Amino acid sequence: MTSSWKQFSTTGIILILLILVPLITTRNDVLTWFSLTLQYIVLSQSWNIIGGYAGQINLGHAAFFGAGALTTRYLWISGLSLPLALLAGALVATSFALIIGVPAFRLRGIYFVIATLVVSQILSLIFETLLPRANVLPMKLLDTYSLIPRYYLSLFIAVLTVATVYWISRSKLGLGMMAVRDDEDAARTSGVDILKYKLVAFAISTFLAGLAGGVYAYYSSACKAGYLFEPVWTFDAVIIVFVGGVGTVLGPIIGSVFFVLLKQLLSVYLPGGIHVLVYGVLFIIVVLFLPEGLTDVIKRYRKLIAAHGETPSKNVQGR
Amino acid sequence: MLEVHSIDVYHGDLQALWDVSFHLDEGEIVTLIGANGAGKSTTLETIAGLLAPAKGSVTFDGVRLDEKPSQIIVQLGVCLIPEDRGIFTGMSVLENLELGAFNKRSRKVKDESLKFVYEMFPILKVRSRQVAGTLSGGERSMLAIGRGLMAKPKLLMLDEPSLGLAPLVVKNIFDAIRKINNAGVGILLVEQNLHAALRLAKRAYIIENGRIVQQGEAKSILSDEQVKDAYLGTR
Amino acid sequence: MVIDLLAQTFVNGINVGALYGLAAVGLSLIFGVMKILNIAHGEFLMVGGYIAFWFFTLYGIDPFWGLPLVAIILFLLGAGCYKLLFSGVAKFMEETKIKNSLLVGFGLFLIIPQIARMLWTADERAITPAYSGGSFPILGIRIAYAPLGGIAVALVVILGLHLLLSRTYFGKSVRAASENWKAAKLMGINVDWTFLLTFALGVALAGLAGVLVGLTQVITPAVGMTWTLKALIVIVLAGMGSISGAFLAGLILGVVEAVSAIFMGPYTIALGMVIFLVILMFRPQGLFGKV
Repeated sequence: MTSSWKQFSTTGIILILLILVPLITTRNDVLTWFSLTLQYIVLSQSWNIIGGYAGQINLGHAAFFGAGALTTRYLWISGLSLPLALLAGALVATSFALIIGVPAFRLRGIYFVIATLVVSQILSLIFETLLPRANVLPMKLLDTYSLIPRYYLSLFIAVLTVATVYWISRSKLGLGMMAVRDDEDAARTSGVDILKYKLVAFAISTFLAGLAGGVYAYYSSACKAGYLFEPVWTFDAVIIVFVGGVGTVLGPIIGSVFFVLLKQLLSVYLPGGIHVLVYGVLFIIVVLFLPEGLTDVIKRYRKLIAAHGETPSKNVQGR
Repeated sequence: MLEVHSIDVYHGDLQALWDVSFHLDEGEIVTLIGANGAGKSTTLETIAGLLAPAKGSVTFDGVRLDEKPSQIIVQLGVCLIPEDRGIFTGMSVLENLELGAFNKRSRKVKDESLKFVYEMFPILKVRSRQVAGTLSGGERSMLAIGRGLMAKPKLLMLDEPSLGLAPLVVKNIFDAIRKINNAGVGILLVEQNLHAALRLAKRAYIIENGRIVQQGEAKSILSDEQVKDAYLGTR
Repeated sequence: MVIDLLAQTFVNGINVGALYGLAAVGLSLIFGVMKILNIAHGEFLMVGGYIAFWFFTLYGIDPFWGLPLVAIILFLLGAGCYKLLFSGVAKFMEETKIKNSLLVGFGLFLIIPQIARMLWTADERAITPAYSGGSFPILGIRIAYAPLGGIAVALVVILGLHLLLSRTYFGKSVRAASENWKAAKLMGINVDWTFLLTFALGVALAGLAGVLVGLTQVITPAVGMTWTLKALIVIVLAGMGSISGAFLAGLILGVVEAVSAIFMGPYTIALGMVIFLVILMFRPQGLFGKV
């Protein structure tokens, strides 16, 4: 069991380092960078649950992010404690999910895709119209604004999310989801309750997405309601998951780091908006040629290293 | 006419056929018999171009089939009538038949072919305007065969034509197959119904778990004690 | 007075509804035949509108003359996209194919508006020939020229499509391939080619709708998603797989929206979502679809 001990201790070390980050540096841009990456990890991992593990393509993830964000923001500004506001946001998101999910999952898979797309787009339009002005934090909260608690909150929720995905990947629940993903008809005839697994996956996914939204709401000093529902939140999540490695625990993490890094780089050298183009092309390439994304690339790289380094007696996994 | 030489065929990662070889001469009726899952359909699908062999070759009248797409294979004169009949249930009987003559070679003689089919299966003429989805099992089989004939094949391959049909209907179908053969069309028949197949065919191959295990004159296989035990026992 | 208002609203609804219908038909065709849901459908519509805009502003070509040109250009564009992107997906099994084609469409949905933004900026563009604002009265109702032309075009196109699918050999091969592509292959139908042409046709139809949108409304890089949305609502309303029903459902949606705009004002956007959810919950086969 040496490899899982190795995994465990590596994770532990990384976690400790992450916890120490604000103590090591007080630079705002570094903290921002870390916070954003962690928030993207939450956003993408939450999509990974429904899209990667349960195999249901949710093209309206932004709706749940936005619902959580909006709810949390208003409740928190109105005086409710942050943890409760976050929880409320997540629950609102999940309720939305069930409203869509229950009718949609009973029909063919494509209806879910369309339903999520349609609902999130319309919500985006509605909020753009209803609340066009940016919502800025009231003076009292702006004065005490500090990145540090926001960083730790992002870290905490990120750890929670990754732990959830890890647990799912090893649990009976995850097995059921993956059975639905891989061959729905076969799963149904084997007695798997398709509806239940899809709904549970969707509920967990949107709960976490709502949390991600809530964290973002706490994090941003000013934001427009419509922006919180914009498709870009769905795109980013989906791109990160696929480029990183869909249906894996590590994938979205690697993807998020890569994504934020690339964004920084691109925004320096290329005019705004081009990075979306680059991501789009990258995304299509991954979907068509590299279905396992970066985790696949890393795996192959490792195999290459292993094949060159170690003696044949240990390697029995040839093809 | 048809030469299948040592083909290995895979469904994804699973191997379905191992080193399968057989041949069919012009005007012959050859049958491929075996139990469920033995690889009979896979063999026919491979010849028809729906699957590609990983190894080996399929040759028809000297032309390699295994590298060609299905529509070319039909054009060359090999027509498969699949197990599920593949009838377009949303279209009328006539439309189905006309589609059978889709390829350029048969389009020219469409009307002639249609007459031949109606003569063979008069019920199809009666139902020609009816939607194919309303036909009975036996009628669907006839439509499927009729449609196959519209393609003016030199070799007609049938995948379990007797499946799900009452004995009398089976007799009609097999009589029709004999008539078609008499008109000069080669027949490759895949069947679970041993008796009917072996009575109709000249030669037979027995396939088991993806391999050809026996071959010979249909009459001698029919009287073979071992075959009788293996296949004609309880079912 | 109220009758006049309602009648005018009805006419306005039909004007927009015809566009909805035309936009939806292409999407419905592609999905009905190949089970590919082209999320980027609206983007192609937008491209069609922009190209017609270019033809008009650069060469003075009237949009109605521009229609066949746009159709050809978008047909080729669609064929190219299919060959490059979607047919690579076709070699997978059925379910993976549907999923991957969604994702590829999603990728296009990201890329195309960006390219549009680079080529045409984010400004609103409209095609404004001399007759574009004009109208004539019938029984007190204003019938505007441009939308009327749009309705005529839509009707001609739909009729043409219907004839294509029911009378020609190509149409037969399309219907056969959509019902059972394996059996179609065994008939000697080149299914790959059929799918390619169908996809290209669907995209061309989107482009045609785009020209009309450019003529009667405005085109911006963001307009693609709006129209994809409308098309999706229409095909669910019609019933997935009902190509002819799509046009009718588009008209219905247009009229319903126009009428409720009187009462709901800016919240009419929500109506689309409500209709959608209601259909999903109570009549998933849509108005005209088979279960």
